[in-house]
Amino acid sequence: MIEGARWRRWVYFYIPLAVFVFVLLFPFYWMMVTTVRPDNELYRPWMAPNYTPFWTLHPTLEHIKFLLGETLFSTWMLNTLLISIAATIISLFCGLLAGYALSRLKFPFAGGLGTGIFITYLVPQTLLFIPLADIIRSFKLGDTPWALILTYPTFLIPFCTWLLMGYFKAIPKELEECARIDGATRWRAMIYIIFPIAVPGILSAGIFAFTLSWNEFIYALVFLSSPAEKTVPVGVTSELIRGDVFFWGPLMAGALLGSIPVAMIYSFFVEYYVAGLTGSVKG
Amino acid sequence: MPRIHRRKLLQLSGAGAIAARTGGMAAILATSRAPAIAQTATVHWLRWNDFVPASDVYLKQQVIPAAEKALGIKLNIETINGNDLQARTTSAIQSGSGPDVICGLNNWPQLYAESVADVEDVVNEIGKAQGGFYDESKAVANNGKKWLGVPWCVLGAQIVYRKSWLAEAGATKFPETWDEYRALGKKLKAAGRPVGQTLGHTFGDAPTFTYPLMWSYGGKEVEADGKTVVINSKGTVDSVKFMTAFWKEAHDEGGLAWDDTNNNRAFLAGTISSTLNGASIYLLAKSKPETYLDEKGKPMHLDMAHSPLPKGPAGQYGYHLPMTNMLMGYSKNQKAAKDFLRWMTSKDVYQGWFNSQGGYSVGATTIWEKDPLWDKDPVMLPFRAAARAGRFPGYAGPAGRQAAEGLSKYLVTDMYAKAVQGMPAEESVKWAEGEFRAIYRA
Amino acid sequence: MAVTSYPVSEAYAGGPRRGAFTRLLEDERWLALVLLLPTTLLLAIFIAYPFEKGIELSVTDSKVGVPGVFVGLSNFVALMDDSIFRTAVWNTFYYTIVTTIFKLALGLWLALLLNRHFRGKAVTRAFVLLPFIIPTVLSTFAWKWMFDPTFSVINWTLFRVGLIHGRINWLSDPDLAMVSVIIVNIWRGVPFYAISLLAGLQTINPELQEAAAIDGARPWQRFWHVTWPLLLPVTMVVVLFSIIQTFADFQLVYVLTSGGPANSTQLFATYAYQIGVGTGLLSQGAAISLAMFPILLIVVIVQLLYIRRVETH
Repeated sequence: MIEGARWRRWVYFYIPLAVFVFVLLFPFYWMMVTTVRPDNELYRPWMAPNYTPFWTLHPTLEHIKFLLGETLFSTWMLNTLLISIAATIISLFCGLLAGYALSRLKFPFAGGLGTGIFITYLVPQTLLFIPLADIIRSFKLGDTPWALILTYPTFLIPFCTWLLMGYFKAIPKELEECARIDGATRWRAMIYIIFPIAVPGILSAGIFAFTLSWNEFIYALVFLSSPAEKTVPVGVTSELIRGDVFFWGPLMAGALLGSIPVAMIYSFFVEYYVAGLTGSVKG
Repeated sequence: MPRIHRRKLLQLSGAGAIAARTGGMAAILATSRAPAIAQTATVHWLRWNDFVPASDVYLKQQVIPAAEKALGIKLNIETINGNDLQARTTSAIQSGSGPDVICGLNNWPQLYAESVADVEDVVNEIGKAQGGFYDESKAVANNGKKWLGVPWCVLGAQIVYRKSWLAEAGATKFPETWDEYRALGKKLKAAGRPVGQTLGHTFGDAPTFTYPLMWSYGGKEVEADGKTVVINSKGTVDSVKFMTAFWKEAHDEGGLAWDDTNNNRAFLAGTISSTLNGASIYLLAKSKPETYLDEKGKPMHLDMAHSPLPKGPAGQYGYHLPMTNMLMGYSKNQKAAKDFLRWMTSKDVYQGWFNSQGGYSVGATTIWEKDPLWDKDPVMLPFRAAARAGRFPGYAGPAGRQAAEGLSKYLVTDMYAKAVQGMPAEESVKWAEGEFRAIYRA
Repeated sequence: MAVTSYPVSEAYAGGPRRGAFTRLLEDERWLALVLLLPTTLLLAIFIAYPFEKGIELSVTDSKVGVPGVFVGLSNFVALMDDSIFRTAVWNTFYYTIVTTIFKLALGLWLALLLNRHFRGKAVTRAFVLLPFIIPTVLSTFAWKWMFDPTFSVINWTLFRVGLIHGRINWLSDPDLAMVSVIIVNIWRGVPFYAISLLAGLQTINPELQEAAAIDGARPWQRFWHVTWPLLLPVTMVVVLFSIIQTFADFQLVYVLTSGGPANSTQLFATYAYQIGVGTGLLSQGAAISLAMFPILLIVVIVQLLYIRRVETH
């Protein structure tokens, strides 16, 4: 509550808010400008005269063309999309079942298992990736998307489980009991009564999981090697940092385009994403 | 149709194919049985992103089709950032799948001695046909027990400098000793044209500068027995003290965070006057004379020249980056890959790649010194015989696994970097000594 | 008949015939088993087993391509002597603590700002989360370009405005490199804190604030005595998540500085990667990663105990 004069509102509210928004969004603006800025403008040292960093008068699509034409960027996008969707589906499936069990069923070791799932979240990826590489090799999954589709759920499932536990806890037990008295089995009650109510939670968990998969880097870096199999973060990092040729343009183009799918899904489902975030925090 | 095409190609390119040509195709169709080679083998070659982009283009546009024609294989060339090569190799070995041939830099092949296949026959063939390998190439590609790969090339490293700027600071030729370079550098920095050098964690420009600097003051990491760590010596300490002063007085201090590309960009943008590098700066400026202009508007490459590193009290040394093609043990296409290596390194095929490099690298064998390319541009002449004078990390011991570890951990570079950031020279040398001791103990 | 008794089983009398399996699932415990099976299986194969293998690795001397022999704790002992490791430990703690403090303070401030009603609130809220949504690697590249020694836009702006005369070496000066990494982490994390804390703020009954105002409390007092205590549970959970993530952070530092000028931004994860995968010393890399785990565990346990204490208050 900021009482009093208008100026106070400006000083304590509008200006700080504006500064926050500016700082948080400026790098994206910079990405966009660099993507369309021609090379000869890009590489002028910061002290050179006539330097207009914040805009360009000669926008060009050459970087985007290079990105789509000369690199396997579109393949990477496809790979990342497929991997993220598949991993999300698996994690949602497991998380849904596990979340239900942990929040609505009574059985021995319930608390222990919940804690156990939490502990797995603490195990650092840098410890796991070498042994995981061995496992991937024994299953002959090296350099295929399956290496990631099966390993991503390891950090997605705990998340989905907690999130959905939060949603499930809020559903009154009576609903199930009514259903059972009416003749349904536990199984059917679970699937036909409880799950539909938790759909917002499922959506939130799914979107959150999708975003986390898209963002993953280290496993993708270690398990994939062929350029055609790479995901967007790994591809952009390893193939667009070249020798002496100036590639910041395509790099920023890659960063921009690589963020779009996530940003789009996010923009359509903002409410769910926020609910997911806060739900996991509160749950 | 494509299948028959391919079979025909394979039939024709197989050994003794000429005789089979007449009967082959018909015979296959008649018996409706596939020939012995049922599909084309794929050979996956992993290389760094070449600092001469024209060579990567050459490889992808000319060599791939040529390999298919000559060997019947599908060649898949992948290029990644040089700094990522080691990590890629490790993960490929650990996951048991990956590129068939990996072009390793420096003495990294020594780290993978247990995971590479034997290529002695190819090496002997090439060596005999092309006048023998350079010592440096042999030292990194052979661990005393077996050949770890087929040496590919050596990247010469020289100092590239702006002639006019040095002249304005009073130097008609490049300084011969480190002290002279320091005095000159002081004047240049005062005029806003500092010397540029990276002391960051990068595989190319940093070690090719720091190791020879240490050697030229008499420092070395181990004795010839390969066990006694002697880096903590007066020579090393002197070199560190020199570098600390040299850095403050003459260098662009942003160099601590540079990778192998920053000095290129800085030089071409006109913010530094000289830097140690391969020939890529000059070659790029020469290939695009309208893009890279000096402050007077003339093509910058006309104002460039090369020189070896200056002399120190104990001599003048250089470290020129060798590259070796390793044939990986996990590869399922051993024969195809070996044939590919033999073919790729043979004189006729290599010639094309060598030309595309424009002198940026020399071949790993000595006959390339006689190539007519060197007569074309006098500015490139210092690179011709560079590989002969090279020493390699691990000196005075072998360029083995331990030297490779020391190199990968950037110990020598960090020794200078720490001192430059304020640590007393004796301390930073002592630190390096401790780290090297840990490595050579194992 | 006054009362008809309906034994429980009769309730099912009209239902469909049930097979043995279905009846089994009626039992809570068996159902739980079946439901938890996929999760347990996946986590067992891809976390528990590799974790145990990772521990094995750290007590041998394996290198790439060379399975090693058992060497007990000598890898860990060697780490104590390794000055780069000590630097990495210090850096990780410093990095985590500093960023958490700033993220909390700035996130809270932003949450308070967003808690008010204004035009465009929903849109602003959506945009503000962007830094957290966009893949870390990609946004870090944008920052790397902004910090570039020769072409930095930040330097240009500060120079033009007259605040600096020389160049700021964001990524090459060892102290500044740490500052740069911290800045990017804070930039990325503030939205997460802000939105989570905002959700927490929105559950606080505004009448409490009003009552305090009527009683004459100043804004700061109202915040400290009314809002903050109620916000504490959510805050603790957010901080817990954030600490776990930041402590094991890899991507940001890897892209921005790879461990920084002479290891000044080297963290646990980046050092483990450099040694294990870069140099191929797998066992040493595993030892470094494992060293992270107990510290994380302690931090988490402390926080969980604190949360439990707060909740039972």
